Amino acid sequence: MAEKKPVIVRFYRFKNRLKEKTAGLAPGKVTISPEALEAAEEALHKMAEDYPDWVSGLIVKLQEQHGRCVDTPEKRRDCFEEINRIAHDMKGQGGTFGYPLITTVSDSLYGFTQSREEISDNQVELVKAHLDAMRAVIRGRVSGSGGDIGQKLIEGLNQAILKYSKK
Amino acid sequence: MSDYDFDRLNVLLAEDSPFIRSLLVNSLKVLGVGNVYAVEHGGDAIHFLQRVKNEPMRVGVQQIDIVISNWDMHPVDGMMFLRWVRRHKDSPDRFVPFMMITSYTEPERVLQAREMGVTEMLAKPFTIKNIGEKLISIIERPRQFVHTKDFFGPDRRRQKLDHDGPERRVLTDKSEGVEIIRG
Repeated sequence: MAEKKPVIVRFYRFKNRLKEKTAGLAPGKVTISPEALEAAEEALHKMAEDYPDWVSGLIVKLQEQHGRCVDTPEKRRDCFEEINRIAHDMKGQGGTFGYPLITTVSDSLYGFTQSREEISDNQVELVKAHLDAMRAVIRGRVSGSGGDIGQKLIEGLNQAILKYSKK
Repeated sequence: MSDYDFDRLNVLLAEDSPFIRSLLVNSLKVLGVGNVYAVEHGGDAIHFLQRVKNEPMRVGVQQIDIVISNWDMHPVDGMMFLRWVRRHKDSPDRFVPFMMITSYTEPERVLQAREMGVTEMLAKPFTIKNIGEKLISIIERPRQFVHTKDFFGPDRRRQKLDHDGPERRVLTDKSEGVEIIRG
């Protein structure tokens, strides 16, 4: 038997089953129907309108966790875990719906609520500073980078971070 | 000219944000996608695909046609999920088109996903038009899969450029060491 050379590269070329499945066998150009696109775009906008309400709901949840941190210091670590989870959820989509400031603030909140040994009163205060900033963004419907107001909000938050991070 | 009929499509969606998840499910449904299976992260997605492989009757789906996954998820992110789909022996379909959603659009991140065998990248924030374009690209312009000692995935060359110099590529379809598998 002749010695077979080792394979260096393998190419897989398959029939386009996905095309058969979605476009059938009819010849000619296939498109996504403009009506469907429009309907989907509309549905997306409608959901985007609901975004501030949805965020408000999450802020309420964060507030509850903050309250628990104050009332039951021994449960702080659990609360921080939950806060961290919610912050992660929020930071992913602020930008998608025109609220990049929500992403900025929740990213910061997410960063400092990651697992840590001990949680000081100052750190709990810092959670509150973040919640205040988020609430201000949503209440004022501060979309985009928020111009001067956005700038002030972020500056305020940064000052709070400086103040409270000195243990 | 006719319209696509996505009614028979089975899409697996892995997205950890409930808001984005319902938004994507909704958008795909309005575009006419017949079945969207939504899970919360890469681990759930892997589990789902294993079930599709092992007990398709119970899951009610024989084959997933397109995977759409967020990148940044916990505990199993989109890249780990993609790696599993492309390389793991339990993967039911190592060739399935994989669309990665990400807000990381730095070139090195895109490159990283490409090296792992991603089919399309969908950048956040996205529009319906973006999703539609990616779907069309997956359906109309599938690429051959390339398997070498350090790569497995859709061909990273998307374009066929004309070239008027001599052919200097070392390997052609007829070379020894090149194996072509059709199906």
